[in-house]
Amino acid sequence: MPLNVNGNPLPMPEPPTLENLLRLVQPQRPYAVARNEEFVPSSAYAKCKLVDGDRIEIVHPSAGG
Amino acid sequence: MPDTMTFYGQDYGSRILLGTARYESPVLLLEAIETAQPALLTVALRKQIQGGSQAGQSFWSILRSANRPLLPNTAGCNSAKEAVNTALMAREAFETDLIKLEVIGDEANLQPDPFGLLEAAAYLVKRGFKVLPYCTEDLILCRRLLDVGCEVLMPWAAPIGTGQGPRNPKALRELRDRLPDVPLIVDAGLGLPSHACQVMEWGFDGILVNTAVSRAIDPVRMAMAFAGAVQAGRGGFLAGPMPVQEFAVPSTPDIGRPFWDEAHRFMPQEIA
Repeated sequence: MPLNVNGNPLPMPEPPTLENLLRLVQPQRPYAVARNEEFVPSSAYAKCKLVDGDRIEIVHPSAGG
Repeated sequence: MPDTMTFYGQDYGSRILLGTARYESPVLLLEAIETAQPALLTVALRKQIQGGSQAGQSFWSILRSANRPLLPNTAGCNSAKEAVNTALMAREAFETDLIKLEVIGDEANLQPDPFGLLEAAAYLVKRGFKVLPYCTEDLILCRRLLDVGCEVLMPWAAPIGTGQGPRNPKALRELRDRLPDVPLIVDAGLGLPSHACQVMEWGFDGILVNTAVSRAIDPVRMAMAFAGAVQAGRGGFLAGPMPVQEFAVPSTPDIGRPFWDEAHRFMPQEIA
């Protein structure tokens, strides 16, 4: 599969940008994103081009100590 | 003048930082927060498991209703790179520059990795983060963290979640003595209110507690006990403890005691 999103295989969106992927996934806010273990700021979603094999992680507020 | 804890230009009326993990229910978490009145609430970032999106959303709702400032952490990160990227994500998701920086060096006791911690702290401070590093009580590490711009340090009492209380009291007290003007918050390993009271009596500025409250049989009552302990310990520190003596010193004066006079001070005739 072209993309791995939070451990799950997902097809590549068209055009292949992070913005388009998030439009499909529709994560609940607030959230933040890393691509291949590097943070991607929300201001860069539109220009962040995805390629086959990218690992996308979408994280949300959670309990912590 | 109010007795506040200050770092990164912010005054905090409370000296407790409270973790939000491992509560049996959201109601208990909210009641514990209301009772402890923490300066900051620690939170994390996690991927949502499939079908668990409702839980994530409700946690965010709970946090919002608690209406306390948040301190995101980088819990579980094993390298400076992971911690830095987690911090960057936390800043965006939680909209705060505050970060509780954890870089773990050992999986068994979750001991901070001083080298990765320092590297990540230096990077994040340069990018405008207000870093609260979870560190060991090593004086040189603490100095280096201050050198790279940390304004507050969070030395451990004992490994996370153990509830052992201060494992290395002499080193902790020495750290306090050597860094008298640096806000020091004891983080991790506190299990009892007396542990919190003890470190506050030693002059630490605050404590961070999670498991000791959330895994108590009655977390709300334990939150209240910790709040009282912190207040008592702080009061004891500010009041200035008496010096410890080797030998007994009677608190009630001998002079004027019946059946006693100066001549018989060391020779009780009854025995002779």
